Amino acid sequence: MAAVIQTEKLTKSYGVHRGIVDVDLEVQEGEIFGFLGPNGAGKTTTIRTLLDLIRPTSGVGRVFGIVSSDDPVAIHRRIGYIPGEFTLYDRLTGGQTIEYFANLRRGVDKAYQRALIERFDIDPKRRFKELSKGNKQKIGLVIALQHQPELLILDEPTSGLDPLVQQSFFELVREAKAEGRTTFLSSHILSEVEKTCDRVAIIREGRLVKLDSVEGLRDLAHHQVELRFTGPVPTAEFEALPGVSEVVAMDHVLRMRVNGPITPVVRAAARYELLDFVSREPTLEETFLAQYGHSPDASEVTA
Amino acid sequence: MTAGTEPARLAVAGRPSLWSRIYGLGSVYGKTIRDSRRAFALATGLIVLLFVTGGAAIAGAFGTVATRAQAASLAEILPPIFQGLLGRPVGLSTLGGFIEWRYVVLFFILIPIWSILALSSTIAGEAARGSLELIATSGVARRRIALEKLAAHLTAVGLAMVIFAIAIWVTGQAFATLPGDEIAPEAAVGYAALTAIMILLPGAIAFAAAPFVGRGAAAGLAALVMLASYFVNGFRDSIPVFDALAPLSYFSWTFDHVPLAGLYDWGSLVLPTALVVAFLVVGVLGFERRDMASTIHVPSPHLPRFLVGLRDPLGRSFGERIPAALAWGLGLSLYVLLLASGASAMSELFERLPTIEAMLRAVYPNADLESVGGMLQIVFVEFGLVVFGFTAATIVGGWASDESSGRLEVILSNPMTRMAWLIRSGLGVYLAILLSAAVVAVATAIGTASQGSDVATPTLGSFVLALYGIALAGIGIAAAGLVRASIAAPVVIVVTVGTFLITLFAVPLKLPEWFADLALTSHYGSPLLGDWDLVGVVASIVLGVGGLLVGAWGLSRRDVRV
Repeated sequence: MAAVIQTEKLTKSYGVHRGIVDVDLEVQEGEIFGFLGPNGAGKTTTIRTLLDLIRPTSGVGRVFGIVSSDDPVAIHRRIGYIPGEFTLYDRLTGGQTIEYFANLRRGVDKAYQRALIERFDIDPKRRFKELSKGNKQKIGLVIALQHQPELLILDEPTSGLDPLVQQSFFELVREAKAEGRTTFLSSHILSEVEKTCDRVAIIREGRLVKLDSVEGLRDLAHHQVELRFTGPVPTAEFEALPGVSEVVAMDHVLRMRVNGPITPVVRAAARYELLDFVSREPTLEETFLAQYGHSPDASEVTA
Repeated sequence: MTAGTEPARLAVAGRPSLWSRIYGLGSVYGKTIRDSRRAFALATGLIVLLFVTGGAAIAGAFGTVATRAQAASLAEILPPIFQGLLGRPVGLSTLGGFIEWRYVVLFFILIPIWSILALSSTIAGEAARGSLELIATSGVARRRIALEKLAAHLTAVGLAMVIFAIAIWVTGQAFATLPGDEIAPEAAVGYAALTAIMILLPGAIAFAAAPFVGRGAAAGLAALVMLASYFVNGFRDSIPVFDALAPLSYFSWTFDHVPLAGLYDWGSLVLPTALVVAFLVVGVLGFERRDMASTIHVPSPHLPRFLVGLRDPLGRSFGERIPAALAWGLGLSLYVLLLASGASAMSELFERLPTIEAMLRAVYPNADLESVGGMLQIVFVEFGLVVFGFTAATIVGGWASDESSGRLEVILSNPMTRMAWLIRSGLGVYLAILLSAAVVAVATAIGTASQGSDVATPTLGSFVLALYGIALAGIGIAAAGLVRASIAAPVVIVVTVGTFLITLFAVPLKLPEWFADLALTSHYGSPLLGDWDLVGVVASIVLGVGGLLVGAWGLSRRDVRV
């Protein structure tokens, strides 16, 4: 598969302020790529650099093999984009706004456009300024999707959307993938990213800290383990095991976090009579939070 | 007890300092004062600059008893339609009286815009942004929020007027050339007090209306009341219906209070002051009792579909600017029609007074004082160019909001280069300016035709406004492209005001010729008489075209900013 997006040591600084530093990533054709990071981590800066809205301080970003600052129009012709925050024309209706952006693309498939409007339950006759945040976001999504682009670049696309519309949106993204199109999205709805994305990158303070498949990211992380004993809890024995941390004992229950192989814990547990043994892989959200030192309390583990 | 005393101790420890509550982030009042510091400096600086340079100019140009008497006699015999544009012609033999007569529009129409903008947006603007909800839920009562914001503006205006009063007194001391030119402290205070009321009354109307109709409509309403009051009072002797309406104009209430001319009528200030207080109370109560940010929907007409501009950035840019272009054009058109209707009377006056005619011919050697076009060239073009500077600023400001609001980011994700977007949308700006000028041209045609004068020449000549507007817009677009979009409108305003000040004061202050030549407006010739100066025409076209090219080049090289 060809790389649709490729960055090499992509760096952008705003004077003394950090933007992004040495970001290297590749997004393959046909995949859904999640780009995660807290506010201010550099997600939007990366996206805006790829679109040539801002220029890199050093390094290079390529989309469809084209250096983003060399021929941005050739890139824009093949992408659909929604920014994290945007405003459009207050005096135009939602329908007129969608029409204007369709015209900028020299026309779109009207039937598909109508289908999107219906799917997102948009009232095209209301003026943009009268719409709620979520409904404005829906207009933005139609603008990004209506020309069925090869690559969708979506910065927080689900911001302000209710759960039902979020679901519709992720269905559309999965449909795009089924048609061989590529999606690069940043989102804070990690459960959906986990379900939808093939690969995920985590950016922290401007630097890429993880890039792997969702499964791969989980494997690298920890397990939450809960043991229910029939007798007293041997806390000290488990605390001494390699990779074990955050050990919490409560009545006959022992909860712990296990980094790396779980075998030592299984072997130690085998020497005791147990009522239950629960081991759960972390969710993407837990992995994400672990990257930022906000791991959930071990006591929160559930079967 | 420990649990009860600890929070109290912490509360005292975290209390903001007195200074930050007066100027800073320690209170709503302090933050409002802090936020308004630039507007305060601009308004105070402008009013002081206008008064001091105006005083210097008058002292220079009318420094002898003879010239002062000549000007006074002209003022008294001007046709009512032109007297309406000026102040009350009393005490013109003194410097103070002359300034008050000559610059009434600047002090009572231009400076109050500060108060209108500030008081229409201090609460409603923040409510529209949503930040007011956070303040209102942070333990500060709504009434207190409104009162603190109001107190901050009143403090700013009060301080500005103290500085203004001192500047008035200093001007009288510094530029007195004839006996009686010195301005007494009482006169300075009296004029500053009158100015304060004239600033605050339209502002208070905006403040009262804002909780009900929102920021924009409130500002528009206040501006409308201010201009209507001014014109109704000023043209009461020319238009019978205005004479009947004049008692409603607040400009008429203080008719006998002309402090710089030595006339005092302190009692006349009571009614407008009471109205200011009443409107401010309405504004406070309106904010306190109404749903926050819930305004009455003021219906606005939809543009016909073909004008909305959905095909490309040129049409979109033009369509988006049409309402502003029409509003400015129609406002100026009314003024043109008023002036045109008095042009014949003015011509007759000059026939009766050859001395005055000779004086005017010295300034306007090619003036045709018998035609409406000739009259408009003298009494309208300079003012019209200033207004068109503000028209250009409004239109360019709207255009620049594409980038500052984040719209441009979505637009540029379409297959279009930055250069192409800037040039096409910039042409849309120019078309909007042309539309505004075309509306004025229609009014000029109607005005001249109604007086039986030549129609074609002044109508064509009125497009000088478009040339100047496009030149200024080009400067604004270039600045936006090179630096950032948000500076476009301020740059246009600075160039407009700077050009106006040069034309106003360069000759009386005997400034060097090269400096006076910096004003583009002095290079257009007499276009309403068909006498075009090619230098101004070419310079305007160069600035318009060059502005687009420089702006496009600049935008293509820098980051798009939000």
